[in-house]
Amino acid sequence: MSISPNTTLYLALVLYGIGTICALATLFISDKRLQRAGLFVMILGFASHTIWIGTICTITKHPPLTNLPEAASFLAWSVFAVEMVLLAMYRVQAASFFVYPLVLILLTLTAVVREPFAQIDRSHTSRIFISHVLFATIGIAALMVGVAFTYLSIAQDRALKSKTRGRLWEWIPSLQVCKKVAYQALAIGFSIYTLGIVTGVVWSYETTSGPIELRIKQVGAVVAWVLFAAVLQSAMSGLQRTKRTLVISACAVIATAVAILGIHHG
Amino acid sequence: MPLILVGLNHRTAPVDVRERLNVPETKLPETLRSLMETGSVDGAALVSTCNRVEAIVSSPREEVIEALVNWMAARAMTTREMIEKHLYVLRHGDVVKHLFRVASGLDSMIVGEPQIAGQVKTAFVASQSLETLDPLLNQLFEQTMRVAKRVRTETGLGEHAVSVPFAAVELAKKIFGNLTGLRVLLLGAGEMSELTAEHLASQNVKQIFVANKTFERAESLASRFNGTAIRFERFEEQLASCDIVIASTGAPHHLILPDQVDRVLSSRKVRSLFLIDLSVPRNIDPNVAKVDGAYLYNIDDLQLVADANKELRHKRAVEAEEIIAREVDSFRKRIVAQDAVPTIVELQQRLEDIRAAELDKCLRKLGPISAEQRSAIEQLTTQMVNKILHYPILQLKESSEEPQEREFLRRTIRKIFGLR
Repeated sequence: MSISPNTTLYLALVLYGIGTICALATLFISDKRLQRAGLFVMILGFASHTIWIGTICTITKHPPLTNLPEAASFLAWSVFAVEMVLLAMYRVQAASFFVYPLVLILLTLTAVVREPFAQIDRSHTSRIFISHVLFATIGIAALMVGVAFTYLSIAQDRALKSKTRGRLWEWIPSLQVCKKVAYQALAIGFSIYTLGIVTGVVWSYETTSGPIELRIKQVGAVVAWVLFAAVLQSAMSGLQRTKRTLVISACAVIATAVAILGIHHG
Repeated sequence: MPLILVGLNHRTAPVDVRERLNVPETKLPETLRSLMETGSVDGAALVSTCNRVEAIVSSPREEVIEALVNWMAARAMTTREMIEKHLYVLRHGDVVKHLFRVASGLDSMIVGEPQIAGQVKTAFVASQSLETLDPLLNQLFEQTMRVAKRVRTETGLGEHAVSVPFAAVELAKKIFGNLTGLRVLLLGAGEMSELTAEHLASQNVKQIFVANKTFERAESLASRFNGTAIRFERFEEQLASCDIVIASTGAPHHLILPDQVDRVLSSRKVRSLFLIDLSVPRNIDPNVAKVDGAYLYNIDDLQLVADANKELRHKRAVEAEEIIAREVDSFRKRIVAQDAVPTIVELQQRLEDIRAAELDKCLRKLGPISAEQRSAIEQLTTQMVNKILHYPILQLKESSEEPQEREFLRRTIRKIFGLR
């Protein structure tokens, strides 16, 4: 009996689903065991997800980044990987309320769209293209986590100012940690994302021998870059707790989503 | 479980009685030895803190209670009648439950206070090193430490500050995370601010500046925290370098204004400023709270935090009680089952001997039979013996925790089955 290569994808989806439910349930049930169980299940899902990505690489002989489902899957993988790095560095998993659902949504997108494993032309196997998609995906993943921690620092600031405790009070790390993680993730993510855009422009120029075509993906990516630059500037100047930052970062996330969905259309 | 506890605590005895019975760590060996000498005890331990003195012994005899009360009276240098009214006596399963509750902080004056687990551990280690623990008490204390840890990990009991100074430290941690390397400015030298500064100093803050109208008082306070005394009129210069400000002067007006804080914060961009106003009338203008990056808490705000935490602790205490009830039940079952093991083994051996002898007789009468037939007969007899033994073994394993009742059941079973 042969097992479908997508089995690990569906397994990862189920595990991410359970992990997300656990993380969201901790908003209502103050239980650290539930939070730990959620993290454990998410890590199992991440392992299964990694196997799926490895399977695609083995079958197609190229990185899993050439169409929408593959890119969404790799982005989900990168976002969770960044969250894990931050967990190891700062022992905080408070962004799980944002990160786990995001990972789940992205992988659901992969499973729902279900395109066949991409058969790509030679231009997509060039080093510059692979660098472009790797930089763009990892950059966006770090920026998403940066946005999550920006929101957390706003929530923490408001709780401290208003002297009231919301449901998240116990889970959110200190204001200083939120600001530090947000700034580092935004700064690193923005640098990598910029490299992704630059390599994208170079690849486009090499492939078409002309200026870059402005389709929905390209416009979304550039708008997101500008908006993330504004969010990073707020973080650098200590203004990240303002309502304006909240709105700009939300717009940046939407622009990124538009760019990801635009992968379909070149 | 032949366990007896005789003791008193902050609810049953006033401090003058407790202090007479209190055992300092240095005197613990000789006190434990004298406790062992009260007679008829297989093992003994002593939990002594400022709020309780409890003697826990392992003994199947009720008379030991009398001996323990007399021992307590002698130690307190008072009459038996005088001490008896402050004492409580617990037996068997109640001892287990009580010890689990004590180590978890549920029986403390401040519910969930963390020091008690360490104090119970000290009692355990001392008794262990003096070899005054029998296997039962040893198991009990080991399990007590595990239960205390489980309660704290699973319920978070004791995580939140219930006093004003601790609430200030807790809030500071919510703002800055680690307090190591922070600078604190103490304005005035009120009792509460001194206490708060003491708690902050224990968190390894980098430096404490003390400004007071009387410079000598500032110097004396600063020396306590290894800090620096500054002239009161020059405190504003230090404001920019500090992360936490505690104001507690007798000044009838605001000493820190929003403009000052705004200037300080705009000069350092991302570092926040935590201001604690413990004075009445207030020394920090309430409008300072509106400055971005400044977090102002007055004495009432901190009291509200402490009160909310108290309520939270009581909720967690209910969860902790549930865990303890389950742990007591599981410990009791384990001990009772362990206690019954020799009788069970003997019982099984006795019936196996009967089965083997009768089977041998039967096989000799039957003459030659096939291996299958022999195996069928063996299986039949084994199953019969197992079925006969099922209920007596179950009764032995699940018998009452009362030692007398258990002993009665054991004797009855031994008599019925003719065990030695």
